[in-house]
Parts: sequence; C-alpha cells; structure tokens
Amino acid sequence: MELKQMLRRIPTLLGSARATMAAFSVRYRMPLVLLLLVGIVAFPHVITGPYYIRVATIMGIYVILASSLNIIIGFTGLFSLGHAAFYGIGAYTSALLATQAGVSFWIALPAAGLVAAAFGALIGVATLRLRAVFLAFTTLGFGEITRIVILNWRSFTRGPLGIAGIPVPRFFGTPFTRVSYWYLVAGLAVITVLAVYRVYHSRIGRALVAIREDELAARSMGIHVFGYKVLAFTMACFFAGIAGSFFAHFQRFISADSFLNTESFTIITMVALGGTGSIVGAVVGAVILTLLPEMFRFLVEFRMVLYGLILIMVIVLKPGGIVGVKGVFEKPKSRRKPWIVEKLTRKPTIPDTTQPQGGTL
Amino acid sequence: MKGIMRFSVLAVLTAVLVLAGCGGGSQQATTGEPETIHIALTAPITGDWSEYGVNFRRSVEMGIDYLNANGGVLGRQLRLSVGDTGGSPQEAATLAQRWTSDPTIVAQIGSFSSSEAMAAQPIFDSEGMVQLSPTASHTGFAPGSEWSFGIVGTQAAEGPFMANFAYNDLGLRRIAVLHLNNDWGIDTARHFSDAFTRLGGEIVRTEFYFDGERDFTAVLTRLAATNADGFFMASFFNDGAAIARQKERIGWDVAFLGPSSLYSPQLIELGGTAVDGLKTNVSFFGDDPDPRIQAYVSEFQQRFNARPNFHAALAYDAIILLADAIERAGSTDRQAIRDALAQTRDFPGLTGSITFTPAGDAVKEYRRLWVNSGRFEIWEG
Repeated sequence: MELKQMLRRIPTLLGSARATMAAFSVRYRMPLVLLLLVGIVAFPHVITGPYYIRVATIMGIYVILASSLNIIIGFTGLFSLGHAAFYGIGAYTSALLATQAGVSFWIALPAAGLVAAAFGALIGVATLRLRAVFLAFTTLGFGEITRIVILNWRSFTRGPLGIAGIPVPRFFGTPFTRVSYWYLVAGLAVITVLAVYRVYHSRIGRALVAIREDELAARSMGIHVFGYKVLAFTMACFFAGIAGSFFAHFQRFISADSFLNTESFTIITMVALGGTGSIVGAVVGAVILTLLPEMFRFLVEFRMVLYGLILIMVIVLKPGGIVGVKGVFEKPKSRRKPWIVEKLTRKPTIPDTTQPQGGTL
Repeated sequence: MKGIMRFSVLAVLTAVLVLAGCGGGSQQATTGEPETIHIALTAPITGDWSEYGVNFRRSVEMGIDYLNANGGVLGRQLRLSVGDTGGSPQEAATLAQRWTSDPTIVAQIGSFSSSEAMAAQPIFDSEGMVQLSPTASHTGFAPGSEWSFGIVGTQAAEGPFMANFAYNDLGLRRIAVLHLNNDWGIDTARHFSDAFTRLGGEIVRTEFYFDGERDFTAVLTRLAATNADGFFMASFFNDGAAIARQKERIGWDVAFLGPSSLYSPQLIELGGTAVDGLKTNVSFFGDDPDPRIQAYVSEFQQRFNARPNFHAALAYDAIILLADAIERAGSTDRQAIRDALAQTRDFPGLTGSITFTPAGDAVKEYRRLWVNSGRFEIWEG
C-alpha cells in the first residue's frame, strides 16, 4: 500500500478505535471508575520511586490547569493566553500568606483560588467585550503585566529574588510526604474534573456552548452572553489559583520564572492536543505533554524537537485533538452543530414574514 | 456520563503506559557499571540560557575526559549524566528528584540560574546530595542548605572590592548606579552601594532596567543629570556594551565601572571604542599567562571552536573541585563527599583559589581589569 493511502487511513482507524473504546466504556462504566480510583490510591505504593511520584504530581497540577482553561477555550470558545498569570497569582497569594502571615496551607489554598478568581473576574469584565484575536492579545498582555508587577513590587513580592522557604503543609500535625502530595493533587484534580463535568452538563454549560457556537443566536435566545463569559473566566481562574497554591507549597520556592507566558502556551497546547472542548481531552493532553518530555529526556537537546514533531503529527492527522469535539486547529464546520444549538436555533413553526419570500413581491 | 466513561478508559490506558515507561526507566538505572563514579549535570542546554548551559556541558565533559585520562578518581572512571532544564525552575526540581532517586549518582553540578538552583534545593536538602552550582549567586542559595555550594562567589565580597577600587584607586566620590532588575542585579548594586557609602562616598542616584530592554537613553539621561563623577553598571556584557554606546551618544563623559560579568571578548566587539576605559574585575582572565589557564583555553578552542568565558571556566572548576572532594573523602558516599567539599581550603581553580565559608559560598580573589584601547588588560594603577 502506498504511504499516502496508509496515512490517510490513520484518522479512520483512530476513529474506529475511539468508537470501540466508547462502547467498551459504556459497558464497563463502574468497574472502570473504580479501577481508576484504585489506581490513584495504589500508585505511590506500587511505584515508589520519588522521581515517578514527582512527575505524576506535576501531571496532576497540569490536569487542573488544562481542565480549567478548557472552560474558557473549549466550552466558551474564547482564546485566553494568560492562564499562567492566574496560576502565578494563586501561587504568590498562597506563598505570601504562608510566609508573611503564617497562615495554614488549608486556608491559603482556598484563599489563593478566590484571589485568582477575583482577578479573573476583574480582567474578564475589562476585556471580555473584545472578540477573538483582540482578547488573545489583552490576556497575553495581562500575563506580561503580572510578571512585571511581580518583578517590580519588591517590597511585597521580593521581586526577582523569589519566595523561598514556603512551609510544607501539615495534615493534623503531620508534615506532608511525597505520597500525601500525590493524594492531595490527585484529589484536587478529580474534584476539578468533576466540577468541570458538572458545569458542562448544567444550564451554565449549555449556555457557554451556545455562546461558542453562535453568539448572536445565543443572545437572541435570552442568554446573557457577557455575564456567562465573565462567569466562565472566573471559574477557570479559581482552579488555576488552586493549582498555583498547590505548586507553591509543593516546590517550596517560587519566582516569576515559573509563570512566564511560555507556561500559558504549554497549557493551551495541552488543551488543543487533547481536544478542545472535551473534558477527557484536557486530561489526556496534560498527561501526554507532561510524560513525553520526561520520557525523551535521554535525547537532551533533541527532546523538544520530538515534542514539536508529535504536535505537528496531531495537527495534521487529527486536527480536532486526540479526543476532541472541535479543535482550534480545525476548520469551522457549519453543517453539524451540537444538539443544544440545533434545538435553540431550530426554525420557528410560524413562517418568517420579516424576510422577503422567494417568488412573491 | 459519557465523558467520565471515556475519561476512565483513557486514564487506565495511560496508567498502563506509565507503568511500562517506569519499568524501562528503572532497568536503565541499574545497568550502570559499578566500576564508574556517576555524576549528574543539570544545565539549561535549550532555551534562553542555552549559551551558558552548552558551555557548562562542554567544560564538565572536558574536565571528566581530563580526569579519566589521568587515572580517574579513587582509581575509578567518571561517568556523566546530563539533564536539560530549558531554563525552567520546575524542570530543575524534577531533575533533582531524578538524580537523587538514582542510587548510582553521587553528586550533582548545577544549575545555571539561582531560580533553578533554589527550586531544586529542597529536594537535594531532604534527599541528601551535593548541589554544587558553578554560577548561582543568590545570597539565599548556599546558606539555604548544608548540601548547597556556590563557587562563583557572592556579591558580598565583589561589591566591596569594586567599591574600594572606585574610591581609593580611581578617587571617585559621587557615583550613579544602574542595575539589571533581577536577583543578581539587585544584590550587585546593593553590595557595591553599601560598601561605597561605608568608605565615605555617596550614591547620588540608583536606576534599574529589565532584562531585554534595549533603549537606555531615558535612564542614562536621568543619571547624567546628577553631579556624579562615576557610573557603576551592574549588567552583563551584552547590555553593558549597549549602555556604554548610548552613554557615549548622549555625551555623558564620566569614569565608569562594573562587576566581572562585563568581562567577555564580546563586550569589546559590541561596544567598540565606547567601552574604552571601563574598569572591572576578574577572577578568570583568558589572556592570563598562567600555563594551566592557557592549556584550558587552547583545548576548549580546539574542541569546540569557541573561546571559553568566565561561566565556562567556573563549570570546569566545579567538576575538578568535585573530583578532588571525592578523592579526599576516600569514598563515594554522598555524606562523605559533602563533608569533604565543605572542608575545601585554597583549592587552586582556574577562577582563582576556592575556600568555602561555613555557609557554602566560595571566597574568591579578584583582580583589577580595564579596557585599554580595545583590549582587556590587568589594571596596574
């Protein structure tokens, strides 16, 4: 068989594999969920290497970040390039509360989420009236502003010196170990994914998808477009803040170097690779893009070349992302819309008299 | 529920993949020959700092080849594993976990930036492995852990040296300061200013700029408006050359000086005549007639077709010093290596003799240097 033909068949093969998998998962739903939970609990006892536990923990952080960004990019169809800024705001809030005010991690964690959410709402109100590429620019700008403020406001953030000596969280008086960090991040990631799942299948989620598919139609159906956009932005930033707080207490040293715009791009790539708009996709993207660079570490400087090649392959072969609904790389399809949009925009039964009818004058 | 189902399937599949990956990884770790001594290097081989990271690797490889050709350490050959951080502190910490989990690795050299080194520090500290950074100069780095050592020397010593140079040798009394706004720049400006004020001089104005800025005329005009008789710039050579050119363009004719980071052949290439008369200091001088330095410079040039700078020489010192500590420890036990390293006294490095303070910072020797008609020369007064 010709190579070209073989390549052309890959998407079909992937598609049928997906269908088989979907059928499999329908049949064995509960056992699979149980198996996953057992896997999370058993993981640090089966694989005890600290390096593997650390990579898994970092993976958990990215699952939270990618899942939350998916609310903005995937569900609502807004392009935010500033997610790392909210991640950083969460990390700095938590680190400063812990080191300056001696606040316990368990209070700093939700506080970081709330502060990041407040900034998200503020930035959302200011920028969400912009569309498409203009929103991308402003959020990119916000990411850079956050970095500059962290570097400049030396009396508060210690500027370029970073914050060292962030305390290890305690659980009923016992300091966290590697394993407790893993359980915490796994728990947070599961909660995030469940929350995102609940949002998607709620009235809010349907409104967000309607906005993504056709803003005008959504507005005409009485959806408060701007309000829902700000809500989506705020929710996503809350989870980014939580991830930041966890990261600060996990790494125990933070500086502006950890929250550069490149970090935002990494998170977006995860969402796009997994499949924009798909809850599973964001998780898959985060897992793959954390593991790949680690697996190919032995290649040293060629590691990132391989990373790029794999990204290009996905873009070419599966533009919607690995398990995507609608990808950022994909051409917009106007033929098929999600059921909710079809329902909302279904032709009214009363003939439309405002438009000129063919044949009549 | 379809989302959750799909999620579970994929999660299980991924778990299988991870398990497979881990199996391969741990096998690799145990196949190392017991005869060798395994050392790890963490460096930004890719990313914005790749120039420094690549030089680290070149120097450390050169050092290991030299040691292995001369009988190795404790009669055993040295083996190197290199990890790339891409400049990210988080990756440096992940690498720290990787190195410390590998029982064959006895000590680590790296990383380049203070942010990387300090993100990795808690891991080296709790697992107990030497973290010898050639370049991290953050004042909180070496005192942060008994396992952390820095050999570049801190600004706490270089600042007073330059202040003394300015006040006593050059007779300057009122100095305007411009610094790069990062951990290093802040420290450099602060230690110089403190020491200069203590000697009786006056800092008339301090300004800063961000990494990546290219137009300095605004800050320079503000500094030139003071009655300063001297100008101190805490910059690296590339910024330093641009600052010198723009200082000349606005016609601010004043004695100027800066820390050893300005010493690079590129300063003169980029700065031309504008850098003439610049005073700085150096611990590693490539044109030094010392045969050891000439041997290093010529071998580096031959192997990599590039001239080594200060940072490269520091990395070379790091590997030779580490090998010396292992030899003195008489074993490859991680704790024994740390204790031997902490005992280092007057180690003859290419960047001057190295003695550690109890905190783990190297006390360096500095030499006065200046640019005289397009060439770096030792300043004789």
